[in-house]
Amino acid sequence: MEQQEPPPTSRRDEPRVSAPPRATEGTALYVHLPFCAAKCHYCDFFSVPDEGQDIDGMIAAILREAEVRAPARPRTLFLGGGTPSLLSAGQLTTLLDGLQEITGWRGSAAEVSAECNPESLDLDKARCLLDLGVPRISIGFQSLDDETLKLFGRVHTATESFRAYESARTAGIEHVNVDLIYAIPGQTADEWSADLGRVLDLRPDHLSAYNLTFEEDTRFKRWLDRGRLEAAEEEVELEMFHATRELASSSGLVAYEISNHARPNEQCSHNLNYWRNGEYVGIGPGAVSKVEHTRSGNPRSISPYLRRIQGHGHATEWSETPGEVARVAECWWLGLRLQGGVDPAEVARTAGASDAAIEVSVTLATRLVGDGLLERSEARYTLSEQGLPLADAVAREFLQRLPQGVD
Amino acid sequence: MDPKYIRNFSIIAHIDHGKSTLADRILEITGTVQKREMKAQLLDDMELERERGITIKARAVTAVHEMNGQKYVFNLIDTPGHVDFNYEVEKSMQACEGAILLVDASQGVEAQTVANAYLAIEADLEILTVLNKVDLGHARPDEIAEEVENSLAIEATDACRISAKTGVGVDAVLDRIVDSFPAPQGDPSAPLRALIFDAVYDEFRGVIVYLRIVDGTLKKRDRVLMKGTDKKFEAVDIGIFNPKMESRGSLSVGEVGYFVSNIKALGDVRIGDTLTLDKTPDVDMLPGYREPRHMVYADFYPTNPKDYETMREALDTLSLSDSSFSYEAVTSEALGFGYRCGFLGLLHMEIIQQRLEREHDLDMIQTAPSVTYKVQLKDGTEEIIHSPGALPNPDRFDEVLEPIVRVSMIVPAEFIGVTMTISNDHRGIFVRQEHLSPTRVQLVYDVPLAEIMYDFYDKLKSATRGFGTLNYDLKGYEPADLVKLSILVNGDEVDALCAIVHKSFADPRGRAILKKLRKEIPRHMFEVRLQAAIGSRIIARESIAALRKDVTAKCYGGDISRKRKLLEKQKAGKRRMRQVGSVDIPQKAFLSVLGSE
Repeated sequence: MEQQEPPPTSRRDEPRVSAPPRATEGTALYVHLPFCAAKCHYCDFFSVPDEGQDIDGMIAAILREAEVRAPARPRTLFLGGGTPSLLSAGQLTTLLDGLQEITGWRGSAAEVSAECNPESLDLDKARCLLDLGVPRISIGFQSLDDETLKLFGRVHTATESFRAYESARTAGIEHVNVDLIYAIPGQTADEWSADLGRVLDLRPDHLSAYNLTFEEDTRFKRWLDRGRLEAAEEEVELEMFHATRELASSSGLVAYEISNHARPNEQCSHNLNYWRNGEYVGIGPGAVSKVEHTRSGNPRSISPYLRRIQGHGHATEWSETPGEVARVAECWWLGLRLQGGVDPAEVARTAGASDAAIEVSVTLATRLVGDGLLERSEARYTLSEQGLPLADAVAREFLQRLPQGVD
Repeated sequence: MDPKYIRNFSIIAHIDHGKSTLADRILEITGTVQKREMKAQLLDDMELERERGITIKARAVTAVHEMNGQKYVFNLIDTPGHVDFNYEVEKSMQACEGAILLVDASQGVEAQTVANAYLAIEADLEILTVLNKVDLGHARPDEIAEEVENSLAIEATDACRISAKTGVGVDAVLDRIVDSFPAPQGDPSAPLRALIFDAVYDEFRGVIVYLRIVDGTLKKRDRVLMKGTDKKFEAVDIGIFNPKMESRGSLSVGEVGYFVSNIKALGDVRIGDTLTLDKTPDVDMLPGYREPRHMVYADFYPTNPKDYETMREALDTLSLSDSSFSYEAVTSEALGFGYRCGFLGLLHMEIIQQRLEREHDLDMIQTAPSVTYKVQLKDGTEEIIHSPGALPNPDRFDEVLEPIVRVSMIVPAEFIGVTMTISNDHRGIFVRQEHLSPTRVQLVYDVPLAEIMYDFYDKLKSATRGFGTLNYDLKGYEPADLVKLSILVNGDEVDALCAIVHKSFADPRGRAILKKLRKEIPRHMFEVRLQAAIGSRIIARESIAALRKDVTAKCYGGDISRKRKLLEKQKAGKRRMRQVGSVDIPQKAFLSVLGSE
């Protein structure tokens, strides 16, 4: 694996990593808006509280970066964060019209999504998003229990979540995802099922239900380490995992990925592209891109991002190019998260891998079929019922057992 | 210098009873060292020693005390205070005529006090009892004096009562040294005989030999012979410690000083050896000389395999300044390439380990210490083994002998019962019990050294709330009913985890090992079975349930690199795992069993 990092002697904020090659027309575009009303205690995405931040300046920088790096006519556009709904109508207009001028996304994107939080999504905001060309939103409910929301450090109540959902529907937004978190300390499987049932009763088009994860460098992780929080028992997590799939499925939402469920034709195309290990361009602080076989990223910090954009138009801070075998392993790791699984022929195309490299991975997959962790149907390999909750263990088999050559 | 004005003595004391402080006061009062240039506790000059409050290597210093208009030369010979260094203590005492028995007036006699006092008595030294810290509120000098008499049969009614810290009473000690301790005897006209009682390595001067002239005179430029090693050197420089090295033209009967001759390695000099002139090779050797005896073995492995060479260099360097440990290359399936080292005892082991880490900045893994067993083979020969894996098949030997130590423990009387229970639980055999005072008791047991190293001291300390002290000395080797305990993982035996244990302890030890492994071996996608066995008999079992859930909840475009790095971290950890069958055993699991903690 080639790693390109600035040498220790380089001047601060001086990008020594060159901008990745310009992505081809149609490549997926992600825009990271790093501001939130407050930082959630479990969240390890790059975000900062918006108070006192120059959001207009950030939008200008993002547009400048887009001029340099954004693909023309992206197939999908995703506004993530952070909390994009935190932007005012004017700011959203500046951003989306600006991007339109640069990329022409309104004429090309089959799917346009924005992440929203209940405290900043009212009827006007929903209408504004729709008017600007965003027909799909994701609402961060996370929990229906106000105490839990407080524990999470969130600044809305469950009632506000429902109200935000209603606003979106009233505004005419046709594609709505709800984000939920389960396996919260102290939560029982029954409590989770009941909450999930209430959300499913809203008839969302898409559901992201995440097992709570104690990510490094989060308050939650520190609290866990100090014994202030206790992670749920594995058995409880497993029960909730299965219950989620069953309940969602009986509401017509199929688990097309480990944590994602959707009605037919409502899967998130933008995210499917990640799991298929496709190319994408991410702009904004902390955003990551994958162009050809190289992944690269911007600094996870506001000022260095802004300074780099001002100086160079791009802010690329790091890049890495996995070798052939590592790329193949990655395709299996990510692809097996999907209901549709992995077709080795697709892996060969995506990873640009030789027959030999593919063959080694198929041999491993065949062994895992024998172990009962994978299933094979014609050309495709998928996680079995038993393998599904062990997706990481299976992924490690690929990432560790395949000989990792440096190309 | 006329020997009748020389007094050679040492101070014996338990840790923290104030030995170094008293030495400092003596040097200060005699004007050997000015107060302002005095670093506290001058004699302990290694960082480690000062930190641990232990004197590891003996030192000597010459001071002059004036009494009734006559100048007396004092040679204060510092002794290491720990049983691991008993041989060095003996040699230091052999260079003295007297010993100050320093006892903390509130703590009383401790195991180390007794052990060293016995050494002094055996060395036929005149003993002067000094009670220290009498200025402290809880001091009970009368009671402690009685304890000294009861435990050591040493007259202590007229013991000096001092505070080494403030200096109160120390003047009187100096006069008592002159009065009580005999002047050195020796024949000035006989051929030279000098006792080598210590040696240290100096980066610039090579080995500095500490010696005491017994007979005759040593002059600068003399050609000398070390009898034990049969090595010859020239006396490039000789002199005394004042406390810095001060050159002299000659050293004569009773004097204590140094000898330097560009000696490159400490291994060339043996403590206890006799130094004489090249031209008088036939003088009798001074008594009691022997080679270092390694009681304890442990393996050191570099944490990073790349540091293997660095470790070798570090051990080489260390052996220049400490010739009493041994090392040889060793390979472990579990831990890779490292060195098996032999030590005088547990403390010695700890010191070497810490010096490697501090002075050489080495990150290393250390296995639990093990003892040396003797195996009587059926063919009549004897095999010495330092590791369980080396134990031959049972059909090849008649019996296994293990080292037994005589342990002397001093505990408050209310802890007699629990101390006896601990001793019995560790296969101890009762030898005797003595009341030192109404509240303190000395218990003597013979205990296998392996048991001492297992957890005896920790158990004693916690059961006596820290009041119990112990000391031990090797008694000899005795046959024991020892068996090899094997550990199996999913049916495969793991060599690195097997142990030699007493038959009656095999079950609990086996269970304890499995419990530790169970904690450290990660769950697999299948059940992992752990078994402890003696021969083909399974004595304990544990199992690690199959992993049922291991899945990242969120994985999107911005996460892939970071998540993959997490997986790579786990991947790097994989390299430090050993695969037994299809089970990955992390190094940590081996260490939980083999490690010293």
